[in-house]
Amino acid sequence: MSDGQEEQNPLVPSRRTVLALGAAAASTVVTIRPAFAQTAGSVMNCQIPIPASGMGGQMIAADGSVVPSGTPGAFPPLMRPLTGEEAKRLLQGGTPAGVDYQAAQAYANYIRRLQPGNGGYSCYASLQNRI
Amino acid sequence: MLLDGLTILYHRPSGMTHILVTPAPEILAALGDAPADPEELLRRICERFEIEAEDAAEAVAARLAELEAAGLVRRA
Repeated sequence: MSDGQEEQNPLVPSRRTVLALGAAAASTVVTIRPAFAQTAGSVMNCQIPIPASGMGGQMIAADGSVVPSGTPGAFPPLMRPLTGEEAKRLLQGGTPAGVDYQAAQAYANYIRRLQPGNGGYSCYASLQNRI
Repeated sequence: MLLDGLTILYHRPSGMTHILVTPAPEILAALGDAPADPEELLRRICERFEIEAEDAAEAVAARLAELEAAGLVRRA
């Protein structure tokens, strides 16, 4: 600027541009969280009932099939649905608190046998690429 | 990216998208020169703009708090 005149850069406001800093209570930032993160969160919080509702009172055989109550060697239904996170751990060989290893294997097999239309299938399907 | 008066900022590491309205982009630009405390930041802004605020220092502090909450600035 040897001639004393300020060069005009369209990206840089001139000194006379007025900038309103806003009130203390105003908000100038809105953050949109990534859809992937929300999806991941919802997958981990989805639920898989064992067995599906409508099969209440029935038991889970070692191979994961649903069998009538009282079937020898079968395991009782879970009192509450597993969350996606719990199902993920189960399918990885984990054992939920209060569940013995063989029962946990039976529940894992039940989940693996889920088919479209079964309660909890969409949750299981969502877990597939996270296991 | 500028879009109809809004500045869209995508933070690649977190995957978050931030929509900024003035004066947030201008504050980030002023901080882009070098780190600054609120007083220095206000001085830089005053070099470039005519400030319109009842209490400029309070307004800058509020804007910084928003940017900090969004993870776009951090305290040294």
